[in-house]
Amino acid sequence: MVLSNGNINASYVVENINLANNIERRLEMLGMTTGVKVVILNKKHNGAIILKVRGTRFALGREITDGIEIGEYENE
Amino acid sequence: MSEDIHVAFIGNPNCGKTTLFNAYTGAHLKVANWPGVTVEKKEGALKYHNNHYKLVDLPGIYSLTSYTMEEKLSRQYILEDEVDIIVDVVDASSLERNLYLALQLIELGKPLIIALNMMDVVEERGMDIDLHRLPEMLGVPVIPVSARKKRGLEILLHAVAHHNRRHGMDKIEHQHKNEREKKSSHQHRHHKNTVVVYDDWLEDKIDIVENALREKYGAINNLRWYALKLLAHDEEIMNKYPLDITTVAEKSYEKEIIKQKYDFIEEVIEEVLVHKDRESKNTDRIDSILTHRYFGIPIFLLTMAFIFFLTFTIGDFFQDWIVLGIDKVSDIIKNFLTYINVSPVLTSLLVDGAITGVGSILSFLPNIFILFLALAVLEDSGYMSRVAYVMDGIMGKVGLSGRAFIPLLLGFGCSVPAIMASRALENPRDRLKTILITPFMSCSARLPIYILIAGMFFGDNAMYAAFSMYVLGIVVAIALALIFSRIDKNKNTNTLLIELPEYKSPNAASIFIYAWEKVKSYLSKAGTTIFVASLLIWFILHFNMSGMVSDIGQSFGGFIGRVIAPILAPAGLDVWQIAVALLSGVAAKEVVVSSMSILYGVSDISSQMGMTNVVSKLSQIGFSQLNAYALMVFCLLYTPCVATLVTIRKETGRARWALFSVFFQLFVAWVAATIVYQVGSIFFR
Repeated sequence: MVLSNGNINASYVVENINLANNIERRLEMLGMTTGVKVVILNKKHNGAIILKVRGTRFALGREITDGIEIGEYENE
Repeated sequence: MSEDIHVAFIGNPNCGKTTLFNAYTGAHLKVANWPGVTVEKKEGALKYHNNHYKLVDLPGIYSLTSYTMEEKLSRQYILEDEVDIIVDVVDASSLERNLYLALQLIELGKPLIIALNMMDVVEERGMDIDLHRLPEMLGVPVIPVSARKKRGLEILLHAVAHHNRRHGMDKIEHQHKNEREKKSSHQHRHHKNTVVVYDDWLEDKIDIVENALREKYGAINNLRWYALKLLAHDEEIMNKYPLDITTVAEKSYEKEIIKQKYDFIEEVIEEVLVHKDRESKNTDRIDSILTHRYFGIPIFLLTMAFIFFLTFTIGDFFQDWIVLGIDKVSDIIKNFLTYINVSPVLTSLLVDGAITGVGSILSFLPNIFILFLALAVLEDSGYMSRVAYVMDGIMGKVGLSGRAFIPLLLGFGCSVPAIMASRALENPRDRLKTILITPFMSCSARLPIYILIAGMFFGDNAMYAAFSMYVLGIVVAIALALIFSRIDKNKNTNTLLIELPEYKSPNAASIFIYAWEKVKSYLSKAGTTIFVASLLIWFILHFNMSGMVSDIGQSFGGFIGRVIAPILAPAGLDVWQIAVALLSGVAAKEVVVSSMSILYGVSDISSQMGMTNVVSKLSQIGFSQLNAYALMVFCLLYTPCVATLVTIRKETGRARWALFSVFFQLFVAWVAATIVYQVGSIFFR
């Protein structure tokens, strides 16, 4: 599943990122590393989302959310 | 006298760095550009306990890489310049993300202090940060501060005074001996002298690169940092220290380095952050309304409408007082000049040229101040970045990311910083498109034109007429973006990526300093560009080949105006005075107003009397509401001012794009004004 298919208010784990190198690195520097928990806060028809990762909110466009693979987050 | 201590303030965007900087310097800061580029550089000076400090506010960055111009500049500055100490401003309420840059700075090995800002926010939420454990784990002093509440400022300065001469990491080693080796899960031989220790395989590579560097280049400070950058294939460092590292790093290890830094950060957070689940719900609540998928756009439009309402109504109230003041000053100077027998030519130059021209511009100061104040509030509160998300859908349809809307929005203030703000867009083609459409947004310099012309011709509806210009500006900009992306065959890459900071009530000091800076530049523009343009206009209107003329219709200006005016006839602007005013407006858009006041010989053009005077003159030649509206449309869209053109050239790196803007905007303005006038004539004549 990719991030743009996620549901609002649900938590996921980032499994893999398939984007252009520089965007991938940028995202990682902002804390979006593999294995990190993300929460989707808001979503638009065009696939743009607002998410929270490591305590910070980001708005991401469709091109990016389509390239981020996520899995279900299991509560410890 | 002791020498200056150079302090560099660095930090993530939205970490409150500028608020902290302002708290130290007040409004006494020097804003300039970094050499060669148009990135703002803020400097301030300060004296505390016999020490003189020179503070530099670096651009907000997330990382010390060389992906963006801001990152490059900040990095070069702290690497090479005479920086005695770095103050890393960290947003305590967003500690995890902020520590990433902090770790990079620690690795850099320069004297560093962490200013843990927004401690008040952390406390409000009921979270706690272990202020003993954090510096122990990071090996650098950590000073809790609250820039907004001005707490901890002196203690931070104290720390700066005591730590700036310290070299290297001796202190870190000392602290690590006691704590690290016992408790950290990162058992590694490097722990004595480094904070972040990577996996063994990566540390092995670091060792190899460090040795190779030392062998080839001798003693380099912060060898480890350079080794890490080479392993990450950092372009700039690879050019600076070319080294064959294919045997250890045939590929870039940046991904692994980032990941392992965050692993360490997780460890730090685990130990120092107490009650970390107590996050603010307020931002989420506000966001659920402001970024709502249906209400988001209407709320944004209402917000903008409210801002312009304030700009016009409150601004106008103060404007009347300024006009009165300028009249008095003008009278006093005129009487004085006559009294001391100054020649009539010089008196006319000073009173009819300089004072009339500059005065007409000064009277709009309150409107401009309120507009910038409102824009500052939008930015400081955190709403501006939400607008990027809200507008992402519409912008996506015209081939741009929602992020491109921020430069457009800033364009309501001034095109120059707005065009610079387009730098945040990664894709060069998106950036170029944004740069070319930004000047269509109605900047504050065009505000006096609308207030004046709408005020003269639209009476009670003046505000709506003026507001329609702002809407038209957005519509034209977005429509052109659509056309550009149709022409541009390249697939658009809509890569919206923007941080949405927590909402906060705007800091009064910060927004006043911001607005004051803008007012100052407006004033200096009135004193320079507009002053000179006014003198020039006065000259071409009062002279021709045979010397001074009493009828301005016979002057150089009259001649030039009559050559241009027929071209403007289809747009209903076949008036030579208007042609001259428009031509002069290329110097700065406000000059249209100052020129009109000189052209029509009214010193107080924005007063009721002045307006009636001009209207009666224009009405005599059949200039109606429709002509006036076409004039406003033309002013909105035509050739940007010289400052904007220079910025376009600088930011695109090509003079031809500036030249393109000159003719393209002229063309768009002519077409739009003609449509307005011709279509309008069918209905209103």
